[in-house]
This record gives sequence, structure tokens and C-alpha cells, in this order.
Amino acid sequence: FYVKASYQEKKLEARIGLLQSAVDEYNKAKNEFAAKVTEEEMRLLRFQRRLEEEKGECLLGFSLHDTISTLLSLGLHKHAEQLYKEFRVPDKRYWWLKLTALAEKEDWEELEKF
Amino acid sequence: MAAHLSYGRVNLNILREAARKELREFLDKCAGSKAIVWDEYLTGPFGLIAQYSLLKEHEVEKMFTLKGGRVPPADVKNIIFFVRPRLELMDIIAENVISEEKLPAPREAHILFVPRRSLLCEQRLKEQGVLNSFTNIDEYILDLIPYDGDLLSMESESAFRECYLENDQTSLFHTAKGLMTLQALYGTIPQIFGKGECARHVANMMLRMKREFAGSQNQILPVFDTLLLLDRNVDLLTPLATQLTYEGLIDEIYGITNGYVKLPPEKFAQKKPGEGGKDLPTEPKKLQLNSAEELYAEIRDKNFNAVGAALSKKAKIISAAFEERHNAKTVGEIKNFVSQLPHMQAARSSLANHTSVAELIKDITTSESFFDNLTVEQEFMTGVDTDKINTYIEDCIAQKDPLIKILRLVCMQSVCNNGLKQKVLDYYKREILQTYGYEHILTLNNLEKVGLLKPQTTTRNNYPTIRKTLKLWMEDANEQNPNDISYVYSGYAPLSVRLTQVLARPGWRSIEEVLKMLPGPHFEERQQLPSGLHKKRKGPVSNMYHFEFAGQQGENRTTLVFFLGGVTYAEIAALRFLSQMEDGGTEYIIATTKLINGTSWVKSLMDRPEAQIL
Repeated sequence: FYVKASYQEKKLEARIGLLQSAVDEYNKAKNEFAAKVTEEEMRLLRFQRRLEEEKGECLLGFSLHDTISTLLSLGLHKHAEQLYKEFRVPDKRYWWLKLTALAEKEDWEELEKF
Repeated sequence: MAAHLSYGRVNLNILREAARKELREFLDKCAGSKAIVWDEYLTGPFGLIAQYSLLKEHEVEKMFTLKGGRVPPADVKNIIFFVRPRLELMDIIAENVISEEKLPAPREAHILFVPRRSLLCEQRLKEQGVLNSFTNIDEYILDLIPYDGDLLSMESESAFRECYLENDQTSLFHTAKGLMTLQALYGTIPQIFGKGECARHVANMMLRMKREFAGSQNQILPVFDTLLLLDRNVDLLTPLATQLTYEGLIDEIYGITNGYVKLPPEKFAQKKPGEGGKDLPTEPKKLQLNSAEELYAEIRDKNFNAVGAALSKKAKIISAAFEERHNAKTVGEIKNFVSQLPHMQAARSSLANHTSVAELIKDITTSESFFDNLTVEQEFMTGVDTDKINTYIEDCIAQKDPLIKILRLVCMQSVCNNGLKQKVLDYYKREILQTYGYEHILTLNNLEKVGLLKPQTTTRNNYPTIRKTLKLWMEDANEQNPNDISYVYSGYAPLSVRLTQVLARPGWRSIEEVLKMLPGPHFEERQQLPSGLHKKRKGPVSNMYHFEFAGQQGENRTTLVFFLGGVTYAEIAALRFLSQMEDGGTEYIIATTKLINGTSWVKSLMDRPEAQIL
């Protein structure tokens, strides 16, 4: 658990490294759930960075939920869809998200399609 | 000023006086004018012991808050640091002292550790090379702070976290010490009961300390008959539930700290007609809450649904009293009326204040989300569908409601189901992490460690058994004229208080089975009284110093209930209710490490790393 101090690390690369060692520790401790979730976290961080480079939007450090809702409000539906599938977000929550995000943007057309 | 402390069965003012005396002695040790530099956290609790005026009498001329850099200039001879023994604070002090020494005329420095000096901290000061700069290094033992006529608290924020999460028993040591101080002032407590791991520790420490002082017999007639030590983790459920007493709700919604609450000012604005009503005061309204205020003492422990009626009744009485003046004919009658005016006016303004507060709370309690939340809580407590994923919690997460609210609900479900199925638990955890961020895995881990969240290990859920044996759920809780403690949560009777009640009558032997289901050992100890006191106890109570109303109390017993790890206002209300029951025969004084509510409690268990990525 001490490895989780990785949050103090500001550089992304170093942070992913530390998270990887956290995963190793979790595996040693047979804490499957924590290991899996931490891997997920690393995936999300990488995804956020890639998107940041492509679109120039600041996403790093957001939770998955916030990331998706930002993507939706930016109109990047494909990316949002991708996250939704990749991280197996429950349908119910995704719809809530999509509804609020679209309604806030008053993007009724997209809402209609959906 | 502190009159509310001496009304109760036990005169807690004695404790306060003892604390004040010690403070005065220390202040007089540093001759000449002085400035106090405060550890900010301590100012609240200190306010309950000594007002500024007392400090002023002892040549305290300035007060500052502890921060880096140097102590602001002030024309005083001494600087006194009032601090908790924390390493990070030592560094700040060292910085202060070093810059002080560069001045042409350095002031004398002193440190007062609250509640205890620590070798580690002194070592740190030594490393910084400033230990010898202090003229006085002392400790000010402030363990139990009197809050109200029947309430003591140590105000140690992290006690629960330290005991159950970090396995740090310092606060238990302070508790034991505090109880020894209490016994020195109020006599040895003959009977000690306890339930839980920490309770056992505290009792052991007390007995050991007693043996160490075996030479000096305490000749004071005991005020307390029984001490009951309860671990918070024996009853994890109660603090998670939303409190429904007036005081409890004020705490749930606005948070009461050190007897004060800060409220949004809008409702109180109209009371200052001079300001022309244009610019509303932006400062939050600060209100002191204790039983010195007659009206508040009356309504604080009522179920909120009964507060409105009580307030309107009071309003009628007051306006009737004001009407009296028309009937006053003779000079004597008028004089009588005038002499009552200040009292009546105070009553009127306190009524106005509490009506506003009640309106504020009502806005919230009548809202849909509050009601939905309460419904789910009550379903859990009655054991409805606690083994499935709850749709309300799901919806709340999807809408990203405050995390603490979610955690309280999930923990509650876990406690009521004696752990959640692995699948359900993982689902919740995943939802929380995805929505609120992966960093909360630390918090979730903490909650699991203290037992608030857990995977189900056996298929047997013993919560329903506990609930039935202890009658934790009362279908027909009477909120207006309560006949059972379950009124404080509109149906749910706090487990901790039920245990206390059963202990008084018929005794714990009757619930042996249930006690075994709850965590930690239960035990009973007796402390020998000096032989001279045995006879006196049975005879008429002669020590009027302690028993102000001894004559009327008859055979009543007094029990001190100590909650290790915190107590909620609703539990206090329930105990007060028991004290007032006519056939109860027992009065309760309450002591705790910290006054808590579900929110502040869960918050103390959270870990929040500052996430920043470049």
C-alpha cells in the first residue's frame, strides 16, 4: 500500500511506473480487485494523454466519469463510446451521463439520435 | 458564564475550574507581559475553558496564530507557544524562534504542549538547534473538556482512525489519564463495565495506574457509581444513519464545532433594521449552542418533527407573558413585570433564532432527496434487500452525488448485511472508483480495514438477530411524545444506547448471546473503595460540594458512559431521554473522544492524495 504514494509523483511516466509496482504488490498480496483496478487506472492515464496530444484538451487526472462527460460535451462521441466499451461502464450510468451532458449542451439533435 | 455546567447531577464546573487553575499557574510562571501563539486547532477547545478575559488578567496582551516566518512584532516580554505535540508544528516553531533570535531584543520563548509533551517533539527541536532557547517547556493536561452539564469530550479528531486503522493507542492512553483525573476530582468509580478491544485496553491502563498510586487513597465520596466503556466499532451502524433530533440535524447539515454552529446569514438578516436591508451580511451567523439557553435545552433532543410544535407553544407562552403588562395594575405588579423583562427579551430573541434555524432545516428535510435517502437508510436498518445492489445508490453514483453520502450508504448496507457479497462489493467499489477517481481506492481500503465495508465471509447474517434481541427497530416510534429511545432516528434505536439501557436493567447477562456476536470482549471490573467510604455511601449523602441536589435524588445511580471513537448528538439525546425516564433510576453523563456525525466520521477515514500531473 505504501507504493500508492505514487500520487505525489508529478511526472506521468514516473507515475505509471510506480503504479505498475503497486500492481505487482497487489498481486503479491493476492488482492486481485485492487490490481485490476490499478491497471485500469494506468490505461485511463495513457488514454487521457493520447487524447491530450491529439486534441489539446486537458484531461489528465480526471476520473473516468468526468473524462467521459467532458468528451461528450466536446462532441467527441466516438472517443466517449470507446471508453464506455473499454472500461465496461454499466449502461445505466452511461445513459445518465450522456443525457446530462447533452442536455446541458442543449444538443437536442444528438439526443434525438440517441 | 459557565453556569450550564453546574446544573446537572454532577457539577462539571469543578473540572473546568481545575483546568483553569492549572492554566493560571503556568501563565504566572512566565513573569511579565506575554503574547500567545496558538496552534489554530486548539483555540476552539480552549475557548470552552477560558475566555480571553482570563488570559488578559495574566498579562496576555497579544494572540497570534502559529505560522511560518517570524512572530509578528509586539511589545511583550514573553512569547508562549500553545501547541499539540506534532512534528510538523515543531518545524514551524523552530523557524519562528530562529528568526526571533536575530532580533536586537529577542523575547523569551516558552512552549506549552497540549495535552502532553512528547520526547519526539523535543528531539526535533533539538535537531533544529533551538531546544535550549526555551525558558519553559511544559505540558498542559487537557484531556476531557466539559461541553455541557452532562457532556465531556476530548475533541481528538482522529481518535477513531488512530485506534482502529493505524493501531495507535496514544488516544487510549489519554483517555485513561483523563479518567484518572476525573476520579481524582469525583472519587473512585466502583464499577467498570466495558465492551470492545479498546475499552479493555483503557480499563487495563486505569487499573494499572491505580495500582501505581496505591499509596494515596482517594477519600472523596464517589459521584459516579458506574463507568461504561464502549468501543465505537461495537456499533458502527448508528453514526452512519442520519440523525433526526434537532441538534443532530443541525450537526448533520451545518456541523457543530466546539459548541458553535455557523449558519447562512440570509435568514437572520432582517434582525438588523439599521442596515437598510440593502447589503446582506456576508459573514456566516455564529450561534452558540448549549443548555445554558433555556429554549435550546428544551428542544435540542426532540425529534425534529416535534420541534415545530414546541416552538409555537413557546411563542404563545412568551406573547402571553408580554400581554401580562396590560393586567398589571398596582405598582408592585408593574415592578415585578419590569424585573422579568430582560429574561423575557432573551427568551424572545432565542425563540426568533431557533425559529429561523428550524426553517432552514425544514427546507432540507422536506426536500425529495433527503426523503429518498432516509427511506433507503430505513430499508437497510429493517433489513430489506440488503444483499442486492441498491438502485438508489446506483442512481446517486451516476449523478455524482457527494462521495461521502455514497460511502455512508454503502457502508450502512454492508453493516446491516454483515458484509456484502463479493460481487456486490466489487461492483460498488468499481462504480465509485470510475466515477470519483481511482485515488479513492485508499479510502475504500481504510473503510475495509475498520470493518465498515467488508466482503461476506459466512452466509449467516447476524444483524437481524441483534436487531430483534435488542429491539433496534420500533415500528411505532412516537416522535411527539417519545416513550422509547428509538425516536431519535424515527424508528431505529441506537445499538450503543440500547446496550447501556440493558446494562442498567436487567443487566448484560440477559443478552450474553448478542454480546458475543458484537466485536471485542465484554468485561466487568470492580475498584475497591477505601473502607471509610463504604458506610458513608449507604447513609445520607453528606458531601454537598458534589451533590448539589443530593436531597432530591434519592437512590438514583449515576453512570458515566464513555464512547471510545466518538458519539453522535442523537445518541446523546437518547441517553438524556433515559436519564429523564421516571422509572429509569439511572442518570447518564456522557464522555467521548470526539463528537461526530456520519459525515465527519467517514471524512476522518478518507485518504486524499493531492493528485497533480505535469
